Amino acid sequence: MTSSPVPLLRALHAPADAFRRLAEAKLDAVAVFLRYILWMALVPPLFAAIGTANFGWRLGAREPLFVAPDELALVVIGYFFVLLAGFVGTAGAARWMAATYGARDNFGHGLALIGIVAMPLVVGSAAHLFPHVFLNVLVLIPALIWSMYLLYTGLPVVLATTPERGMLMASSLIGLLLVGAVSTLGLTVALWTMSIGPAIAV
Amino acid sequence: MTAATATASTTGGTTPVGAATDRPYEDRVVGVLVACSMVWAILGMAAGVHIAAELVWPELDFGQPWLSFGRLRSLHTNAVIFGFGVSALMGTAFYSVQRTCHVPLFAPGLAWFCCAAWQVGVLAGGVSLLAGWNGGKEYAELEWPFDIAIAVVWIAFAVVFFGTIARRRIRPIYVSNWFYGALIIVIAMLHVVNSLALPVSLSKSYSLFAGAQDAIVQWWYGHNAVGFLLTGGFLGMLYYFLPKHAGRPIWSYRLSIVAFWAFTYSYIWAGPHHLHYSAIPEWVQSLGMVMSLILLAPSWATMINGIMTVSGAWRTLRTDPALKFIVLSLAFYGLATFEGPMMSIKSVNVVSHFTDWTVGHVHSGALGWNAMITFGTFYFLVPRLMGTTLHSTRLANIHFWLALAGTMLYILAMWGAGVSQGLLWLSLDEFGEPAFSFTDIMASMGPYNALRLLAGAVFLAGAVLMAVNLYLTVRHRRTAVVLPPIPREA
Repeated sequence: MTSSPVPLLRALHAPADAFRRLAEAKLDAVAVFLRYILWMALVPPLFAAIGTANFGWRLGAREPLFVAPDELALVVIGYFFVLLAGFVGTAGAARWMAATYGARDNFGHGLALIGIVAMPLVVGSAAHLFPHVFLNVLVLIPALIWSMYLLYTGLPVVLATTPERGMLMASSLIGLLLVGAVSTLGLTVALWTMSIGPAIAV
Repeated sequence: MTAATATASTTGGTTPVGAATDRPYEDRVVGVLVACSMVWAILGMAAGVHIAAELVWPELDFGQPWLSFGRLRSLHTNAVIFGFGVSALMGTAFYSVQRTCHVPLFAPGLAWFCCAAWQVGVLAGGVSLLAGWNGGKEYAELEWPFDIAIAVVWIAFAVVFFGTIARRRIRPIYVSNWFYGALIIVIAMLHVVNSLALPVSLSKSYSLFAGAQDAIVQWWYGHNAVGFLLTGGFLGMLYYFLPKHAGRPIWSYRLSIVAFWAFTYSYIWAGPHHLHYSAIPEWVQSLGMVMSLILLAPSWATMINGIMTVSGAWRTLRTDPALKFIVLSLAFYGLATFEGPMMSIKSVNVVSHFTDWTVGHVHSGALGWNAMITFGTFYFLVPRLMGTTLHSTRLANIHFWLALAGTMLYILAMWGAGVSQGLLWLSLDEFGEPAFSFTDIMASMGPYNALRLLAGAVFLAGAVLMAVNLYLTVRHRRTAVVLPPIPREA
């Protein structure tokens, strides 16, 4: 991976080495965004679109729920932009917190770190190809735990702070991400009640 | 007054510290309350794990009414809220009010009465719930004899707490005491009003309120029990023990006071959000929603205050595993206090209400905030009470990861289950009829319930590790004797 300043795949099997390389690399935020983040954010919506169109949403009860093609397109595009906002917003929050936790405030490094942290989730999003909700929960929970491990171990190295301050900063980011996740959930449900997405009796 | 008060009164050591002429702090009652709290934590969480198992294998009630989900569920909530939670709040209130007022407890005999009567009450109340005595009001299930007993103990708690404050040697009242004080006053008011009932026998009474009014009073009680007990009371714990942990004052004392009054004013209106789309007036529902949204501001002000306090104390993390629990509790406090107002929005609530999403929300607060802050506080408090160090930092670290994993697993499973349920309840077929039956939907929740069981078992395992660790810390030791500091000459 010497040619790649952001060793995304290496992070999956040798995270310590990947984080060390990332810490030493010179990174430009725009390049990281265009070369990695943009494409990573495309993968889960693409899987979701293929899975939903072919199999419908399987929520556990007998019949799958199918979403009309134009509604599906809206949901998929929305998913893509939410993910992009998640990547950029979290990296922005990391930069904003950097002074408090004595960390490096380089936006490029923050963005690359969040990219690496999200890799298990992006790979796990292959479960969207068969959108049975419980299958997705079962695959994405271990992926999420892996991502949290990468965040706690990688943040102090990549953003050059002490392990203790890194732990505090990672916990703050997790708090923020949890709020982001539940906001997305709430926003999605609110859109359903406004007749955007699956048809429900409201 | 500055938060320095909270860090000034040094504790610990087996020899008396402070003025020889004064009575020592009444810390033995604190130790007993902490021990009882841990016992209730394990019993209450075990009951929760058992009912989670019943959702997967219903035959686990063995055909016994007292082991049925309905009775054990009430036991679970009462044991964790009133056994674990209130014992912890009482113990930490007694500990901190002495140190922030520089005087020992007022009426220590009454403090022992509170401790003993509360434990007997929770135990007898738990047995009565298993026997099928149930008032039918959520989080206020205990029947009228227990309601009277609770009111008596609560008044005794108030006398001890406010009596200590009245005899204080420091003129300003530290912010943790404002929160503990609000807990005592507001819970007394809520409990008395909501429990007004006409007894028809020893084991049965009927509410004095009827219909929609009864529902409004119940959720005025229910939501403010969450507000002033599970939030306000535990914020009292946070504001005393966080500066002690961190060894530095609260980041902004002024913000803590502003947040207290904003919190107190706005929380009391939020109850009707539990009754969206019900028979209560539309404007009451909207008012409840708006006040719930406003509540986000003081909640997050407190979270920011806590995070900024702890961020300057990162060196303490090297030696104090308990601080990790407090850091994480703040993250979950932020989540729960954001999620609650969001779920109070009517267009979200129409999908989320009556689903496991609500159960997940409650547990992100109960496990992530209440239990974590209590665990962090006990890991700090117990060694100091005994004038020693924690038996095993490694066990505490293992507990931390078990607690985090259990909480995350629980929340995520319930998010998945809740959103699925909401979507399925509201799906219509081509004839405009519900597309899925209730039983179909509930049957499809099996895998999520299995995950919930796993999450609860992991969290309980952590609590058992903690109990063992704390037992080994206090074994063969006596409570350290600590005297109040010598008053300065005017």
